[in-house]
Parts: sequence; structure tokens; C-alpha cells
Amino acid sequence: MYPWNHRTVMVTALLALAGIVGCAQQETSERSQGPDPLEMTPEAYAEYLVFESGSFRLDQPVQEGGDARQRMEQDEIQRLCSETRNRPPADVAGRIVRRARESIRYPEDGIQLGDWRKGAELARSGYGYRVGHRNDDPDRTAGGNCYACHQMDPDELGYGNLGPSLTNYGELRGQGESVRRFVYEMIYNPHAYFPCTNMPRFGVNDFLSQESISHIMAYLLDPESPVNPGIEPGEGERRGL
Amino acid sequence: MLRRLLWYSILLSGLACVPAVASDSPYLTKRQQLMMLAESNPAELTLWKGEELFHEKRGPKNASLEACDFGLGPGVLEGAYVQMPRYFEDASRVMDLESRIIYCMKTLQGFTEEDEPIARKHSSADHTADLVALYTYIASQSDGMKWDPPMEHPMEKLTRDAGEVLFYRRAGKMDFGCVSCHSEQRKRIRLSYLPSVHQPEEWAKAISWPAYRIGHGVVRSSQHRVRGCYWQMRQAGLNFGSEASIAILSFWTDRARGHVATLPDLKR
Repeated sequence: MYPWNHRTVMVTALLALAGIVGCAQQETSERSQGPDPLEMTPEAYAEYLVFESGSFRLDQPVQEGGDARQRMEQDEIQRLCSETRNRPPADVAGRIVRRARESIRYPEDGIQLGDWRKGAELARSGYGYRVGHRNDDPDRTAGGNCYACHQMDPDELGYGNLGPSLTNYGELRGQGESVRRFVYEMIYNPHAYFPCTNMPRFGVNDFLSQESISHIMAYLLDPESPVNPGIEPGEGERRGL
Repeated sequence: MLRRLLWYSILLSGLACVPAVASDSPYLTKRQQLMMLAESNPAELTLWKGEELFHEKRGPKNASLEACDFGLGPGVLEGAYVQMPRYFEDASRVMDLESRIIYCMKTLQGFTEEDEPIARKHSSADHTADLVALYTYIASQSDGMKWDPPMEHPMEKLTRDAGEVLFYRRAGKMDFGCVSCHSEQRKRIRLSYLPSVHQPEEWAKAISWPAYRIGHGVVRSSQHRVRGCYWQMRQAGLNFGSEASIAILSFWTDRARGHVATLPDLKR
């Protein structure tokens, strides 16, 4: 994360300025503490609300070390997607894709498939990294919560539809080097393919470990995994694969 | 033939009695069972407790809340909640209903932040928080009315506009913002249909807090909802009644403008 992106600097400068004005008016103004929000743009006021107003528990320790302030500071991709409301114009989208590609780090011993049974648990688990009124235990493995948004094992009925169905993902595509690479990159930083996607960057954000990613990949691609029960003849063609 | 026509007309008139629902909104229609249950919403028990508490003389100043001004004049409850959040001159800030109740519990009744009636913000299985009960009673006096938050004061506008920025603001360990779950219709997390901010009819129902949450077994508030969202998003914990929380509530209420509030509601 970049704690001193241009926005933070701008807001700080604005607040400093407003502070000076505020001092001069202290005698008459009821709002003697802090700047006058009405001098701010909605964007600047929103940043003030996040970082200066005491609205969030910024000093609370977080599982990855440090405090919750880091969670609120936006990196470039978060900022660009917020500003363009997830519909980046072509030049911004290109920049996001480039940044995302640069961010991807690969396992030293190549992209391997782990244990699909462990992947099945991780795909169901929504545990990990929550802070605030209740804190997730950092010693418990964080889940990928894939089922919140994707269909996978067709026998699991409790699946969401914010993302596409992944049933028979490996059956339809195989487990070759290029497929493994694509799936790894999609989990690590999906903005490399879909700029401003809703999907979290599980790798860049250190949400899932390399080991967890390998298990989830096995769950998706392993022919033995219930995600790949097989398809009717011709279904691949119908789905354009 | 005539008989069949008669049957059709009875059927049609029956349908007309069902509350108007956008048939293409699964968020609304897949909740038929909830809608049927809504005839006997357990939140009524909380509402009755709130009504008693509202009129009871309490606190160090031994006063009721009957003189509290929720924006339409002292003691006027009807329609007050659908016209909040609102800027209050006496407090010099924009307040949601929960913040306003606390303000009056302090100024009229003399309670402090540490006293149980204010300190306990949410209910548990074995204890209904006074605050939730009061909130449920006062909100119920706006049932069936249209959301209509005031936008005359510049702080009301700024608060709403900043709330909109926060709605789209992605951050945290999962890169989520409110927008991630609430910008498209017919989307689900697991089996739960998500309301879209772009569909005012389902949005008006979705922001209808207080609601008895079947999964929790108690009545929950809008502050409780928005806190839970930030928790799930893996952003920092959001403080109760904070300026940022009210900005989000202000934006979400504005997006339901002109559509009917269900108070108290019944949710999953």
C-alpha cells in the first residue's frame, strides 16, 4: 500500500489550510476543532471522514501486523477503480492491467496443484482477517470464500452468482501449464485480466498463502475433484470451449 | 364462460391486494415466505417495549423523551424517521435516528455515555437494548411512508455526497466497497439475494431498519447493518453513530427517496 499517495497529500494540505482558517475564526465559530467541512469537496470530506473524524477504529491491530489504518489506505488499483466506479476508461484500464501484471509473483518451484480436499474446505470458508467489534484468529487459516460468488461442486447448492460458474472448470480446460498459469494469475491478481473486477486480489493482498492457492487450484482443476464431475457430449462446444 | 370470468376477476382482485412488488426483483419476490410471516413480526414486542420506555420518566433528570425533537418539532414522531438523517441546529451536526435518541437521552434525561441505556447499543438473545427498542418504536411511526430525507442544509447535501464517495470506495484486504455487493440486481452471496442501490423499490425495502433478523433472533438497526458490512469487507471497524456511518446512511436513504419504508421490517 502507498500511505502517501497524492490524495492523502492533497487532503492533508487541505486540512492544514482549513486549520489555519479555523484558528482565525475560533472565537466566533462553534466548530472550533478541526476544519470546516463545507469548505471541502465531497471527495475530500470523505477522506476526512475515513482518516480524521474518528469514525473508524484505525488504531486497532490487524492480523497481518500494523494497524487498521493500513486497511483504509488505498493503493493505486483500489483508488482508480473507486474513482471510475469500476468502469475505467480504456487508458485507465490499460494502466490497471499493467500494474496488475507487474504485481504477480510466482512460486519458486513452479505452479503446482495441491490437495483438492483441502481446497474444498478453503473454497467454503469465509474466515479470516475481519477486524472491528470481533476479530478473526490469525492462527486459523483464512479461506477463499469462493462459494460466496461462484458455483463449483454442482452438489453444493449454497453458491452465489456474483462471479461466473466454475463447475467443470478443469474438465473443460485441462490442467496444462497455460491453464495453471492463468488460474494462478486470476487468483493472485484478477485485474490483470479484468480491470476493476469485484474479485479480491488474493495473492497481492496476502490473503491466501501460496499453499492455500495451490489447494484451491487443485479443487478447480484436479480431475478427481467434485468440481469436475464431467459433462455431456457437446457441452464444451455449446459453452464456446 | 361467465363463471370463468368471475373466477378470473376474483383472482385478479386478490393479486391487487398483494403489496406492489417489482416482479423482476428476486430480492423482493424470493422473500414471499418472509412477506407472509411479516403479518406477525416479532419486532412488535420490541416496539411495545420502546413505546413504554419513550413515555417513561427516566434518568437523573427524571424525564421522558416526549419533548425530544426528531426534526418535525418536540414529540412529533409521525413521519420523523423517513426524514432522517437530518441536520440539527442544536447539535450542529447531521444525525441519524439512533444518534438523535442518544442525544435526547443525554440532554433531556441526563444519561451519560457510560450508563447502561446508552452504553448498550445492540440487543443480544437474552436482552433487548433500550436503544433498539426506542428506535423500533419511533421508526414504526413512519411505517408505510416514503423515504424523504431533507437536503436543504448544505451539511445534509455534503454528508450524502461524501456517503456516495464512501459507497464506491474500495479498500481493505479484499478490495471491497459497498458497491461490490449492491450495484447489480439478481445477484446473490451464497443463497442470499442482494439489494441493488440502482433499484429503488428493493433498495427502499433493504434499508428498512429496524428489522427483526430471523438469523439473529433479535431486532437489528441500520448502524448494526453498516458495521457488519465493514467487518465483512475487511476494512477498519466502523464506530457506532460516527460521521462516516451517518454519511453512508444519508446516501443510502437518499437512494430510496420516494419509495415506501417497511417499519419495522423482517429480514433473513
